[in-house]
Amino acid sequence: MIDIVLEGIWSPIVFILVILITTLVAYILYEMGNPSYKRTKHKGEPFISGNRPPKDIRKIHVPGDNLFWGFTEALKNYFEPLVEGHTGKLNDYMYWVVITLAVVLIYIYMAV
Amino acid sequence: MSFDIMLHTPTFILAMPLLFAFLTILVSKFSKKFGEMTFLLGLLLTGFFVFLMSYRIFTDGGWIYTFGAEEVTTRNFFRITFIADGFAALATITIAITAIAAGIYSFGYLEKEMSSDKFYTLFLLTLGGVNGMVLTGDLFNLFVWFEVTSVASCALVAYENYRGRSVEAALKYMVLSTVGGLVVLFSIGLLYGQYGVLNYALLSGSISRTFLDKLALALLLVIFAMKASSVPMHMWAPDAYGEAPGPATPFIAITSLGSLFVLFRLLFGVFGVGIDTAAIGAILVILGVLSMFVGVTMALVQNDLKRLIAYLSVSQMGYMMMAVGVGLATLNTVEYQNFGELAMKGGLFHMINDGVYKALLFLSAVAVIHKTDLRSLNDLGGLAHKMPYTTMFFLVGALSIAGIPPMSGFSSKLLIYQSVYLYNPILAVIALVVSIITFAIMGKVFFNAFLGPDQGLTDGEVSNVMLSGMAILTAVVILFTLFPNLVVSEIVTPAIEALTGGVLP
Repeated sequence: MIDIVLEGIWSPIVFILVILITTLVAYILYEMGNPSYKRTKHKGEPFISGNRPPKDIRKIHVPGDNLFWGFTEALKNYFEPLVEGHTGKLNDYMYWVVITLAVVLIYIYMAV
Repeated sequence: MSFDIMLHTPTFILAMPLLFAFLTILVSKFSKKFGEMTFLLGLLLTGFFVFLMSYRIFTDGGWIYTFGAEEVTTRNFFRITFIADGFAALATITIAITAIAAGIYSFGYLEKEMSSDKFYTLFLLTLGGVNGMVLTGDLFNLFVWFEVTSVASCALVAYENYRGRSVEAALKYMVLSTVGGLVVLFSIGLLYGQYGVLNYALLSGSISRTFLDKLALALLLVIFAMKASSVPMHMWAPDAYGEAPGPATPFIAITSLGSLFVLFRLLFGVFGVGIDTAAIGAILVILGVLSMFVGVTMALVQNDLKRLIAYLSVSQMGYMMMAVGVGLATLNTVEYQNFGELAMKGGLFHMINDGVYKALLFLSAVAVIHKTDLRSLNDLGGLAHKMPYTTMFFLVGALSIAGIPPMSGFSSKLLIYQSVYLYNPILAVIALVVSIITFAIMGKVFFNAFLGPDQGLTDGEVSNVMLSGMAILTAVVILFTLFPNLVVSEIVTPAIEALTGGVLP
């Protein structure tokens, strides 16, 4: 028999305590920051690569389509057939059930 | 003769939702308020009896509850057994928590709805059906509860029938469920024709490796995997979850989880003794990996809030199938002691975790849709300004589903990573990658819907009743987060012992 020992501990309460202590340290460091900083009218406004923020506030927000666009575009050879495979047609849903059943059946007869 | 109420709790768990389903619609004819109270009473009583049954199971051990004939004989039609054991406790606790939270939430959601009594009736019928599925110890009775669940949940999906999409989703769900039901019935017939029994325990002793046994196994495995929204048979799930009325959405998802509970019960309790579990475990692992990866990558390209969470739900089902598959594959070997049992712990802990945080995510997404009438992430933004509580509840669910420490989802996923790594390191790598993508997706949703400048999409928070439904689930997630060891030792371990009790030497 091979003896495998899983080592280490996991305690969420200790983890939360560590987070709280870290947050406290971060806050103290933040408070020790530049004391000459003063909030002016323009500080805290959105910075869009130096461009003037658009008047329509909705244009400041990045829409869902744009997030991870690069990722999905780079892997479009995977994503395109995957999305197209989800046709929304009931016939296709049934095909997949039948195909899975056939594969599982063949596997069970061969392996079990 | 004294009446031991604890002994009869399985009956009450089934009877309460069914009785109150019809009482609710009757009382609602006189007063909507009293109808709601009747519905709530039905839910709370069901939860109370689940608590009583679980308490007895955890303190005194499980028992078999029998309707009809006391003697076990072959070809005895009038004997139905219900299994009250650790596994049934785990399943019914998960279902009850979600049902109570979603039920309370529905009062706020359906405030202006005139025919909410029908919703409540269908909700309670689904609850009764899914409880019956996980409690029964009889194959034909399983088919009956399967049908009750399918019919009631299909009607729930189609509840908002003024929207064409709801009806279309319900039609797809209904066709698949009906075909599934017929296939289940056919496979039951195959087993009954050979052995003349329907009882799980009796079948377990009879099952061998005949041609018909293998056919019945394949049919049951595929249909319950389909109902559990396993890839590649998952496509109905985003349709049904996406189009079901708000508070019913997590509950439709719970019926999928119920199917997974049944699948595990059948594989361990009925086929576990006579069939090569290593090969069946491998099928679960393959379906699990496919579900994890395809589910999460499909979620990445979604912009519809509910469909996105639905695909994540498919992905999470994969974790459970993979982990329990590893447990099943290593059963009766030394590896079970080494890591198989740990995988089972991770898988079953993830089931109760997933049931709760997924419901929380669905309810907070529904709150957003309810207030803004928008469901595309392209149109949402800045909701944290006006909906701070919903934002917080969503964040708790999002961190948990992504498996971010110290959330409960992390605790169960950690057990899964550790154990499946020892079975095959590639599985652990895939599980980790899927978790990272899940986190990225949750980041996208949180950023798109809740962060950014206030766009004036809503005038404020959802009602307090809806908030309290989400608060219940958040409290449970936090409880599971703080005391994962307690959940594993008190709820999950008895479930594993119950599941493997008849199979392990």
